[in-house]
Amino acid sequence: MTACSFPWRPPLAQDWAERLADIEAILADGRAPDYVALKTLANQQLGLREQMRIERLAKKLERAALPNPAFAAVTIGLLGNRTLSYLPDPLAASGLARGLTISSVEAPYDSVASFAFSLADCFGRPLDALLIVLDESAFASKRPILDRTAENDALADAENLATALASAAQEKTGCRAIFATLPGALQVSSADLATPGTSARFRHHVNLMLAEGAMEGRWLLWDQAALASRVGLENWLDPVRYHAAKIPFSVDVCPLAADSIAAVLAAMKGKAARGLVLDLDNTLWGGVIGDDGLAGIRLGQNSPEGEAFVAFQNFILTLRDRGVVLAVCSKNTDEIAREPFRNHSEMVLKEDHVAVFQANWSDKATNIKSIAETLGLGLESLVFIDDNAAERERVRQELPLVSTIEIGEDPSFFIERITQSGLFDHLPLNQEDVSRAESYGGRAAAAEIRATIGNYDDYLTSLEMRMTIAPFDAAGRSRITQLINKSNQFNLTTKRYGEEDVRKMEGDPDLTAWQVRLEDRFAQHGMIGVVIVRADGTEWVIDTWLQSCRVLERGVEKCVMNTLFETAAQAGVKKIRSKYIPTDRNGMVSDFYSRLGFAVVDKDDDGAVTYSCAVTDYEPHRTFIDVCVSK
Amino acid sequence: MSEQQVILDKVTDIIRDLFDEYDGPVTMETTANDVAQWDSLSHVRLMVMIEMELGVRFSTSEMQSFKKLGDLVDAAAKQSG
Repeated sequence: MTACSFPWRPPLAQDWAERLADIEAILADGRAPDYVALKTLANQQLGLREQMRIERLAKKLERAALPNPAFAAVTIGLLGNRTLSYLPDPLAASGLARGLTISSVEAPYDSVASFAFSLADCFGRPLDALLIVLDESAFASKRPILDRTAENDALADAENLATALASAAQEKTGCRAIFATLPGALQVSSADLATPGTSARFRHHVNLMLAEGAMEGRWLLWDQAALASRVGLENWLDPVRYHAAKIPFSVDVCPLAADSIAAVLAAMKGKAARGLVLDLDNTLWGGVIGDDGLAGIRLGQNSPEGEAFVAFQNFILTLRDRGVVLAVCSKNTDEIAREPFRNHSEMVLKEDHVAVFQANWSDKATNIKSIAETLGLGLESLVFIDDNAAERERVRQELPLVSTIEIGEDPSFFIERITQSGLFDHLPLNQEDVSRAESYGGRAAAAEIRATIGNYDDYLTSLEMRMTIAPFDAAGRSRITQLINKSNQFNLTTKRYGEEDVRKMEGDPDLTAWQVRLEDRFAQHGMIGVVIVRADGTEWVIDTWLQSCRVLERGVEKCVMNTLFETAAQAGVKKIRSKYIPTDRNGMVSDFYSRLGFAVVDKDDDGAVTYSCAVTDYEPHRTFIDVCVSK
Repeated sequence: MSEQQVILDKVTDIIRDLFDEYDGPVTMETTANDVAQWDSLSHVRLMVMIEMELGVRFSTSEMQSFKKLGDLVDAAAKQSG
């Protein structure tokens, strides 16, 4: 990662430049652009060039001064003892990514003292916030080494300056001051913090003084020091350009600095996230609870990955402690999804912590909408965390206001991505903020689901799915055996076969035994389905039909069924029979065959249902997958 | 094509993108005075973009010595060469 990248944002869209051109054309026409589309465009992993173009676009928008009811407007003053001229453009760009229109008003170079201590008002207008970035040299007092008295005097001077600036901000511009903390110093010794008079020690004390003032509500903080240490002090500073242009930090990191300032402004404007919507499988624990079971999921002591998931859950709990409301959105059977929350000893999150618990097989965008309605929160105040890129894409397409963090695949980095995003930035907390999450209660109730929102077909088309159907072979044998023995939820008959059984099926003329693979533009999903059909005279009988739960609601079953009936027709088969054998795990497919066009023939006392469908009666389903059948 | 020319082409591309209102020629002789948008602020930005895209890093004294685009291209060529 380079210093100025935004790894938590959605990846750069392939047609980014075209979308930018569309918006520029609309602006050139003097019309207001689609602000949600604009936010989506700005909130991506921009490279250097894209960043520059978004900054230019933001400037054009500012000049056009069109009404924008979708964004919150912020006018921010910039005051510093070094040049802050590199901040306004990236600030405007970062604002777009967070739903803010940020316009900056810069004070003349080094007007700190006159603003604080004279009647002069270099802004001459009301502001929404005044960002004050001072470096060590703004605090002029001499601090001889080991002289504690001089150090204490210097700190008292620093506090006086901060207090005077905060009052001047209030009186002259009618707004609160936001002080930047001071980044660390390049240290000579590990003993610098223990040596009165050093820069490191002075900056540390100034930062504590600024923090105390913020806690008392006298001003707000932009924690420049935290960002500088995250990026690394040596990346943060640019001594060449400091001496050439008196910039307090590197131009390279300006977009990142601006984004972090924008996060503070968003929090100030009440635009920070208030709810966290969590996927379960491979997000809160490793593995799939419905297939791997309570003992099989990776959570806690048994693996490094498991430990990472526990750490992530602990982190989520600290977000809840700050007032963030938690919700679950998982494609699962409700009862099965709740099992770890109730019975897994390593599970940190409990049902009590979750305000809304959506575990069902419906589309996630629809579920998130229901969650927002149940909680009474706007979509823009929700953050969605899911390890599955296609699910994130679906939510981005349908609910662009919901923030979907690019969480990655390794749970060890989940916390980092969330903290980097600044989406949960907040002002100094009060008791009311903290009890907010409690006030929603830990009902863990499921919200009512509405009809699927938006155009799902468009989404399926956009996935560019390709399926390969191939007969059983040696190469697929071990994965086929694994799926046959592991799949519990999307498994119609739950028949288990060992590797030797599977080997014997290869090339058996009485069998149609398929391995099904799927890929889309986000991922190679590998083998996601197994179908075994036995010939019985002019009829075929489906012995096994199972699928991985990773790719649900994609029309995979329709596609495979269409192919099965085509193949059957070519083989002169008259009818296909099938069976659903219920277990405590496979309730999700209880109506599988009725949905696909089969009629019930018989019901056993133990709940098993036999179906059949004449080949001439079968009507192919509409699908959105390119299929390749190999013989 | 000489190394200088390769670098100049890349720099030209950046200049066209950064100074989108300028459509005059970009040569080794071009200076900030030729381009209206090229002020002291955008100068720093241009330097950063050139450094990042060419993978070079100019020293304090080099930065100070640039009088025209050709100086910068020569300095970059020296580093990558």
